[in-house]
Amino acid sequence: MMNWLAFGSELYYFLALIVFTVMAMLPHPNPRREFTAALFLSAVGMAVCIAGVRSEGLLFAGTYSVDLYSQIFKVMLSMGVFLIICICANLDGVAKKHHAEFYLCLFTSAMAMMMLASAVHLLTIYVALELSSYSLYILVVMNRRQESGLEAGLKYFLVGVVASAVMLFGLAILYGSIRATYLSEIVQVIPAVIDQPLVIIGLLLSLGGFLFKLAVFPFHFWAPDVYQGAPNQVAAFIASASKVAAIAILVRFMAMSGGGSVYLAHALVALAIVSMTVGNLAAIVQKDFNRLMAYSSIAHAGYVLIGILCMDTAGYTSAIFYGLSLMLMKFTCFLVLVKVSTDGGSLQIDQLAGLHRRSPLLAMALMLALFGLAGIPPTIGFTGKLLVFIAAMQNGYGILVLIAMINVVISLYYYLLVVKAAYLLEPTQEQPPLAVSPAVKVLAAALVTAMIVIGIYPTHFLALVHEAARLLV
Amino acid sequence: MPTSHADFPYLSAILLSCIIGLFVILFIPAERRKAIKWVSAVFSGITLVLSTYLFFAYDKNIGGLQFVEVLSWVPSLGITYFNAADGFNLPMLLLTGVVFFTAVLTMWELENRVKEFFALIFLLVAGVFGLFMSFDLFFIFIWYDVSLFPMYLLIAVWGSTRKEYGAMKLTLYLLAGSALILPAIVYLSVSSGLNTFNLITLMQPGTFTPYQQKVAFLLFYIGFGILAGVWPFHTWSPVGHVAAPTAVSMIHAGVLMKIGAFGVLRIGMFLCPEGWQYWAQLMAFLAAVGIVYGALVGLKQTDLKYVIGYSSVSHMGIVGLGLATVTVDGLNGAVFQMFAHGVMTALLFSSVGYIYDRTHTRMLGELGGLSRIMPVASGFFILAALAGIGVPFLASFWGELLVFISSFRVYPFFGTMAVVALVISALFMLRVIQKAFYGPRNDKFENLSDVTLGLGIPRIILAAVIVIFGIFPSIMFDMIDTASIPFVGGLP
Repeated sequence: MMNWLAFGSELYYFLALIVFTVMAMLPHPNPRREFTAALFLSAVGMAVCIAGVRSEGLLFAGTYSVDLYSQIFKVMLSMGVFLIICICANLDGVAKKHHAEFYLCLFTSAMAMMMLASAVHLLTIYVALELSSYSLYILVVMNRRQESGLEAGLKYFLVGVVASAVMLFGLAILYGSIRATYLSEIVQVIPAVIDQPLVIIGLLLSLGGFLFKLAVFPFHFWAPDVYQGAPNQVAAFIASASKVAAIAILVRFMAMSGGGSVYLAHALVALAIVSMTVGNLAAIVQKDFNRLMAYSSIAHAGYVLIGILCMDTAGYTSAIFYGLSLMLMKFTCFLVLVKVSTDGGSLQIDQLAGLHRRSPLLAMALMLALFGLAGIPPTIGFTGKLLVFIAAMQNGYGILVLIAMINVVISLYYYLLVVKAAYLLEPTQEQPPLAVSPAVKVLAAALVTAMIVIGIYPTHFLALVHEAARLLV
Repeated sequence: MPTSHADFPYLSAILLSCIIGLFVILFIPAERRKAIKWVSAVFSGITLVLSTYLFFAYDKNIGGLQFVEVLSWVPSLGITYFNAADGFNLPMLLLTGVVFFTAVLTMWELENRVKEFFALIFLLVAGVFGLFMSFDLFFIFIWYDVSLFPMYLLIAVWGSTRKEYGAMKLTLYLLAGSALILPAIVYLSVSSGLNTFNLITLMQPGTFTPYQQKVAFLLFYIGFGILAGVWPFHTWSPVGHVAAPTAVSMIHAGVLMKIGAFGVLRIGMFLCPEGWQYWAQLMAFLAAVGIVYGALVGLKQTDLKYVIGYSSVSHMGIVGLGLATVTVDGLNGAVFQMFAHGVMTALLFSSVGYIYDRTHTRMLGELGGLSRIMPVASGFFILAALAGIGVPFLASFWGELLVFISSFRVYPFFGTMAVVALVISALFMLRVIQKAFYGPRNDKFENLSDVTLGLGIPRIILAAVIVIFGIFPSIMFDMIDTASIPFVGGLP
């Protein structure tokens, strides 16, 4: 008898999908009504996920594991979806008649990401990953401004398909050499064969799909165009929740390989260094805030990889914590971006001019989020980096930590340029104060509080994540 | 080491008054400038009162750590909230209190974006206080960065002369310093195998191998040294000081640069005594070069703020030289010099700020005969300048004297170089005074008013501190002795 309650959160999001399917078929689209429904459903979804955080079970013939690890990620993902819906009140970037479909795809993608967090069989992993990607492909091209949206969508799709093909090839090689598809079986066999070239190649290629999601070099080409061309809300979703999902599966997959292979670790070290450096250097010259966010995502993917390549409990804990910090900080940036952007499209950094007068609260939230992304205490971004560095140091990657810190200093430069725009630049023509609703004010204040409080007092969350990560190793 | 716990969390109260002050300011409407200034004055006054109280309530006969507050923070990582007072940090806390309070009063005439200015100042000072009182590496690093990042906005928004360039250069330099400090902290914490960031636990002899100490000390020395204005990492400092508004220059030269030297002392020397002794030669060399370089480059400057900026590089070199001697006298002199230089530079910048606000120039060639137009304002500057060149019975004299005596013994060559440079800079300072305050007066400034009593209060406080500690240096030396004698005595 299957434990359906353990599958509760996914079922809930599936029901939400049906609601939006019906709404999309109604004759008169009503953006207000659809927004309210999405807000309500995502808020309840968060409650459902939190309620199910301690449920456990092995479903669908052992291909689907509900454990503390997956449930923590489901809570984070549901939170991510809720946050994204919060900035959908003005969905200017998407045509009015498509709003129901927009939510439909968003919830589908979220559900798939939750399934990704629980997938423990090569096939489930692949199916969940594709499901989440395909709904994102659609979301990216929902931009009203057709040309840029189409170009972004096409690039995203092509890179995604290549990554997924590479991954499938890797999975096939892996199966060919190990003859197992359950992660729990692979983990038992793999220590004996980890040094075989075929196994390493298989592992590296299978990482392709995950690295694509995380926007790690060399699968990062799509990020700048997608962040710029997609509707801002979708870019925010890709920058926050989608990264969390990528970390979820990457950590589970790496934990499966058992941490025996030096070659694998070295390959990841190289990828981490290149990602950080490429992302940070390219971000310096950006004039467009969306593109800057994209390059900063690429750089942050490098930091996350440092945690993951440690392949021990401390490393995985740090990567998960880093994922949460990224989600909060990136979302805060996009919250400001969405509010400042006049036409629902991408935002030039110069357009932030005078923000400190137009909305002091948003300016402060933006500054904190940017300093957090740069890894400056007392924000959650610093704590994430500290955890990553401790884990790396424990595994003897001292030089890597130094390189990462140098990158931090480089990144500070362009984050400061954005802060400068918000606090120093004066707009060329007089801009009215931003109309910020009380709800958004509360949201911004809550984000600021969360970034600081979790940053200096991470104890409880850290203990939970640590417990989850220990399950894997 | 004797430790006594606090019956009342005085140290946290200092931090809290900064943080509460910050929040109160955030909730006052921006137009109510007077209210914001009064709130700032009250809360900064509280920190001054508390730090003065602690300075005198500390029991020098017992020594060790007093007013200790310990709270487990993140047990899984070994992070504790651990504040304490000892003979090294009490002078620094007092210095911070004095400079903070007087800096707030100095900015009484500010009209532009008052709310944000004072909010950022409070944030900055919270970081400074926190760093001085903390004994946990995690918190020390957090406070270190908290005190740095408001600087960018403070200089870029309210500064003058190439402010954006100065702000960006300063921030990137100092953050590059923290890029060395954080790996060193993590390296030590991890390689100790104790899973703790507690400074006192980590400083047990034998925790680190000599090799680890050498590596980590170098990272700490350069990382914190950037902030302390150690040559050749000082180039941000004159530019930053010139660009910054008066109060920020005061806090920055007066207190923030001390954080650098204090970090070398508190973390570098405490945790890596063998690394300290290994690199002491290098420290002495760089310090001596800094003293000479600062003095000589100062000779060429025509902008009063640049003059002070380069003299800071020179004076911080004296602190570095004192630390490099590895003797009780050297340490005492260095810590005393940190305190004296902090008060003295604050007074210098404060006087220059006043003069600049009136005359709108800081160029030596354009000023002249000011002592007849503004006798009081000029008097403050001259007093501070005299303290800077080490006139007896003003505070800096004792610090410089001790450092020079001990450095003659340990590094005769560097000591001589430093004294010669100081004599040159003394001559030069007298020339600056002569040019700006005596000589033919500039008719343009005929109608300018002198310092009123209200605006005089902060300068009077600073001048009084310089004189009091110049006449009674033993108050300070007895305090520092309680920390420096056991520390140097316990060295391997």
